[in-house]
Amino acid sequence: MIGLEHFLILSGTLFCIGLFGALAKRNAIAILMGLELMLNAVNINLVAFARYVTTGILTGHVFAIFVIAVAAAEVAVGLALIVAIYRDRISVNVDDFDWLKW
Amino acid sequence: MDLSLLTIEIATVLLAIGVLVIGLLIPREQRFGLGYLVTIGLAIILFVSFGYYGINATAFEGMYYVDDFSIFFKQLILVAAVLVTLAATLYVKKMGTNYGEFFVMTVFAALGMMVLSSAGEFITLYLGLETMTISFYILTGFKKNDSKSAEAGIKYLILGAMSSGILLYGLSLVYGMTGTTVISEVAVKLAEMGSLSPAMVVGMVFLVAGFGFKISAVPFQMWSPDVYEGAPTPVTAFLAVGSKAAAFAALIRVFMIAFPDYSLQWKMLFAALAALTIIIGNLVAIPQTNIKRMLAYSSIAQAGYIMTGVIAANAAGVRGVAFYGMLYVFATIGAFTVVMNFSANTGSDEIRDYAGLARRSPLLAAVLTVCLLSMAGIPPLAGFAGKFYLFSSIVDQGYLWLVIIGLLMSMASVYYYLSVAKVMYMADPVDDSPIVVPAGAKAVLLITMIVTVFLGVYPQPLSVLANLAANSLFF
Amino acid sequence: MLTEYSGIPIIIVWAIVFPALILGASKLFHPKNPTPVKLQTYECGLETQGDTWVQFKISYFMYALVFVAFDVETVFLYPWAIKFQSLGLFAIVEMFVFIAILLVGFWYAWKEGALEWM
Repeated sequence: MIGLEHFLILSGTLFCIGLFGALAKRNAIAILMGLELMLNAVNINLVAFARYVTTGILTGHVFAIFVIAVAAAEVAVGLALIVAIYRDRISVNVDDFDWLKW
Repeated sequence: MDLSLLTIEIATVLLAIGVLVIGLLIPREQRFGLGYLVTIGLAIILFVSFGYYGINATAFEGMYYVDDFSIFFKQLILVAAVLVTLAATLYVKKMGTNYGEFFVMTVFAALGMMVLSSAGEFITLYLGLETMTISFYILTGFKKNDSKSAEAGIKYLILGAMSSGILLYGLSLVYGMTGTTVISEVAVKLAEMGSLSPAMVVGMVFLVAGFGFKISAVPFQMWSPDVYEGAPTPVTAFLAVGSKAAAFAALIRVFMIAFPDYSLQWKMLFAALAALTIIIGNLVAIPQTNIKRMLAYSSIAQAGYIMTGVIAANAAGVRGVAFYGMLYVFATIGAFTVVMNFSANTGSDEIRDYAGLARRSPLLAAVLTVCLLSMAGIPPLAGFAGKFYLFSSIVDQGYLWLVIIGLLMSMASVYYYLSVAKVMYMADPVDDSPIVVPAGAKAVLLITMIVTVFLGVYPQPLSVLANLAANSLFF
Repeated sequence: MLTEYSGIPIIIVWAIVFPALILGASKLFHPKNPTPVKLQTYECGLETQGDTWVQFKISYFMYALVFVAFDVETVFLYPWAIKFQSLGLFAIVEMFVFIAILLVGFWYAWKEGALEWM
């Protein structure tokens, strides 16, 4: 029987994969994808909790909808910034983002 | 439901959208009045907000607080926004095309901060946080012709989104364990459960990490020097002041209302973070040669001082946070306005280029000195009173060691603050030409200097408001 | 309990066996007569040009951004559409405010040339 733990394990794994991608990838686009994975892991969490913990109350679902909308806005801004940098340096590799010291 | 409780927020939204629409309707060359329009609008909202003290109500069934605590922080944010927009007009004009949008995004960022300081529930909190940070991502990368700015923007976005993700994961765990997203109900549910489950502990740690990033506490501070240096200077000023204050407001509300029974655990965590933040912020500030980076590290250290008020977890501590937060607004914006005008004239942010500033522009040098010394906490300036409130709130709670670290490091900070003053007053200028300061910026400089001195000598009016704010949080 | 999910492994096994069967059968029976023309990539009858991994013009990018932003906002319309009858007039007015704000954003994007071909 699939229970709450399974969803939590899935979301925990997904979150770790996303975090690893965001930290280890060198391509800025791939980093954004990692960040999206992290947010989607949260969404799985929220929906699973709404289903198993607060059955019938939709707070978790509403939260997930808001997270989706915010994530889209975040990614739109991120892509715009990446394109602005790309036009300058012909690179999306974060190792080349070195005009400021990290 | 009483929508009049939300007048301040609704007025802010209308201001932002109104300015955006006006900007679309009038030709590009005529848009330069929009900056002043925003300043005046924000000032009116600030004035109206005084009428909201003493209401202490909640809107939307406990989701949104309109108490003295949130009003105080909203006023802090509005003061910061008014000063920044007034000081920034010339800087933004020089920055290039999108003049009106800069101010619109500033107002949206302020709106996010206001929602954050009022949020009584996790979804609202998250939305406020993201409204603020997404606006700041855009503002940070605003300089079109300067790729340092875009680079700072993408760095802020990557690290900011990562920290939001971590904070959000923490929020989802707290929601899952307690079954509610309303902050005050979380405390009730936790009291019913009696003990902390492991998932709850993970959630709380994630919350500390997420908030730690937003207030740039060590070890989550790595983004702030880069972002502060690369962002347009008015944005840096607003970021240093507003986003930090709003994050502190949310942090205080979440930890003091949702987790009061476990304060021993999170106090320990915050005490360790505060000690690290104070030490590293101050020590790394010393060798900096770029004034924006120096101010970035100094603002990290300031966040460490403010955290001591959170550790106290009582009315005295919150009063200290509120009081110090407001002083910090004036000192920081004063300092950054000087940096803004200096770089607009000379194109440089290096400390060595400040040589002989006292002769080139006595006003700039005086304001920078007063603001820096206030941050260092030299009496009779306002920073001294603020640090006094903060440190005295934790001294009898067994955190004497933290107070000692704070005092020692404040002394160390005098060194790098004074070395800037020394360069300005003792060294000979390379270039003798006087520095032109536009009227708006001049007003901001005078206001910040006078307030900083005045509140140091006579802190009464501000401490009354800070008291109101603190008491409303603890009933 | 188990039988509820026993369909899944059966489908997985069948999903592997069935294509293998079909492909194997056609491999056995079809005539093998490759010519260079037959081995060409199929592209609507035209002759192919260049590499598959070409970069798209950056001009598409603005459309994509505007689309993503407005597309995701519609997610808020669904819960509203299900519930607005029980929520009354307030919800309807609120949704119009929401759409009005979106329209201001769209108007801005239009006016600033985000929809122009660059």
